Amino acid sequence: MNLEKVIVGFFAILALALNVVFVMGDISNPTHHNVWILTLAILINLIAVGLKLGDRSQLGAILMATGLVSSLLLISARLVWVANADSGDDLSVASEQMVLIVSLAGGALVSNLVSVLTFAADTVISRR
Amino acid sequence: MATTSDLNRVTSIVLRFMRGPILLLIVVYGLGITGMSLIDGHNGRPMSLFHAFYFFTYTATTTGFGEIPGDFTDQQRLWAILCLYMGVVAWLYAIGSIIKLVQNPHFITAVAERRFARTVQTIREPFVIICGFGDTGSLLARGLSDNLMSAVVIDSDPERIKALAMRDYWVKMPGLCGDASVPKHLVDAGIKHPLCRAVVSLIPDEELDLKIAVMTRFLNSKVRIICRATDKQQQEHLSHLQSVSVIDPFELFGVQLRTAVTGPRLHNLSQWLVGAKSVDMDRQTQIPPGNWILCGYGRMGRRLHKYLNSNDVSTVIIDPGLKESKLSSNMIKGHADYDNLLKAGIRDAVGLVAGTDSDSKNLRILLSAGALNPDVYMVVRQNHHENEMVFNAAHVNLTMQPSLLTARTILLKLISPLIAQFLDHLRAQETAVTEQVVERLYQALASHKPHLWTQKLCDSSSFAIQEQLDKGRVLRLEDLIRSPADRSKSLNCLPMVLERGGEAVMMPDLKAQVKPGDLVVFCGDTQSQQLLNANISNPYTMEYLITGLEPPRGYLLNWVWRKWFQPKAKA
Repeated sequence: MNLEKVIVGFFAILALALNVVFVMGDISNPTHHNVWILTLAILINLIAVGLKLGDRSQLGAILMATGLVSSLLLISARLVWVANADSGDDLSVASEQMVLIVSLAGGALVSNLVSVLTFAADTVISRR
Repeated sequence: MATTSDLNRVTSIVLRFMRGPILLLIVVYGLGITGMSLIDGHNGRPMSLFHAFYFFTYTATTTGFGEIPGDFTDQQRLWAILCLYMGVVAWLYAIGSIIKLVQNPHFITAVAERRFARTVQTIREPFVIICGFGDTGSLLARGLSDNLMSAVVIDSDPERIKALAMRDYWVKMPGLCGDASVPKHLVDAGIKHPLCRAVVSLIPDEELDLKIAVMTRFLNSKVRIICRATDKQQQEHLSHLQSVSVIDPFELFGVQLRTAVTGPRLHNLSQWLVGAKSVDMDRQTQIPPGNWILCGYGRMGRRLHKYLNSNDVSTVIIDPGLKESKLSSNMIKGHADYDNLLKAGIRDAVGLVAGTDSDSKNLRILLSAGALNPDVYMVVRQNHHENEMVFNAAHVNLTMQPSLLTARTILLKLISPLIAQFLDHLRAQETAVTEQVVERLYQALASHKPHLWTQKLCDSSSFAIQEQLDKGRVLRLEDLIRSPADRSKSLNCLPMVLERGGEAVMMPDLKAQVKPGDLVVFCGDTQSQQLLNANISNPYTMEYLITGLEPPRGYLLNWVWRKWFQPKAKA
């Protein structure tokens, strides 16, 4: 067992899990999606990217790329939310805007999924 | 430049041939178009120049769309008839000339030469020029292809060049039909190309081989020359040229026979390393001392006689061409038939060499000898490669094929010159050294097919090694061949030669340190080569192989690890 794999794997899988938690629910209903979960997902994603900094292997490159994509999409979703809600009331987002926010998070979900699958596959075929 | 002169030649032939037809076409077009744009149509005005050109184009080429843009007047129709006949005749003449041109043998040669020169110019990997594509040449090309090295072939026989184009090589093998001793052909074949590694001259006429060697030296002072020569005088001439390797098939044959007789283990090893089929490393036939019978006393027979004599092996020679005056007690004039073999003492002989230059004679000798003394050690010379199946079926102890032997020796010189050195080194040593080498190879490789490759350390593909050395680590040969799955095990390969600064160490100690710029020849299976290549280009694997540790890869975790967890002993 390799401690680095445990830590990196923990953050990658946690990012995916939080992403799923946020996306679950009716796509246009603001009450089904929690802004805290979204923010937490962004944070975990950024940490996952940070942990891969400095890895020159091929696996490191692909994990870095997927991490950057999902962070970018989640941050965009959060920005759309901020821009379209009245200050202080996160639930005041119109349902059309909510669809955009959740589908952006859905895109990030795909990227997180790729990241976890790649990571798992590499760990399984690892010779050591 | 050769290519431009070829280009000029092709262009100039086309221009010369097409000058007449093109002039005629221009005149006919001019005449027809001018007439059409002068004759009035139904609307009282003649056609515009563009319409006249359009009309003439589809009429002269017999396409015939009809009367476009409108119905013609009778005057116009009259002119149209004239246009049609004129145009069609001019076109037929032009097309006929083109067909005649492409059938012209000089034109075909010029185009083929130009295409060949262009193909050679596009080669992007190191290549070899092979002059002469006979038995040896084609075996060599096959061997080069198996080692993914390109070759350019020149042969004066068009049938052989056609056959070359039909072969399924892994790499590009352009062929030119022409006399290789013509400098222009050598230049076309890329003798001045910066990636040209060697010129191999294998033409049966040894005068030409010498001529090619001399011209090559003038055209390119650096390229390596490998030349086949059996004549002493030719060899003398060649040895004065720089970086020329002279290959004498009969000499090789003699050395091989001597090795087979005196050191069967080494013979097996060298056969195994060059990839000969059905070599059993365990099998070794120690030939008891005794009489040998030598059938055939030509150029090869003399060499064999010399080598056997130098090892104190007594011989009886049977040859129909022996001179009566020079006959001594151990020579028999006549064909090696039943009676003469008996006379030569086949029943008590330990070895027999069927070494005439005719395959059918050699096979006959084998049959008679086999009937008289089945236990005799039989060596046979196979002259033609196509007879291979018969010789394989004959179950002799040693088949020696000059063309195959020559091709393999040249290939070894080209692909892994260090291995050629290695074998020479072993020949000069005691047999115990060979035993050790065989033992170690056997342990490392078991029954895998051997594969030789040369690895240059610290070039672009092995940058991970450089990184480790920059960190001040000591890198040993044993670290290079560790298995990435478990560093305590090693890959199925063994370093055979370590070359540093022009000096080669044979069978280097595994504890030996490696330095940037070293050349290492490995012998192993293909899988081990792939794994080794992956190891030396991956900094993380290299780190593991040397230290046995796997530090975290990311900056952050790596910092934490170094700060708190790194084992102090290794620091």
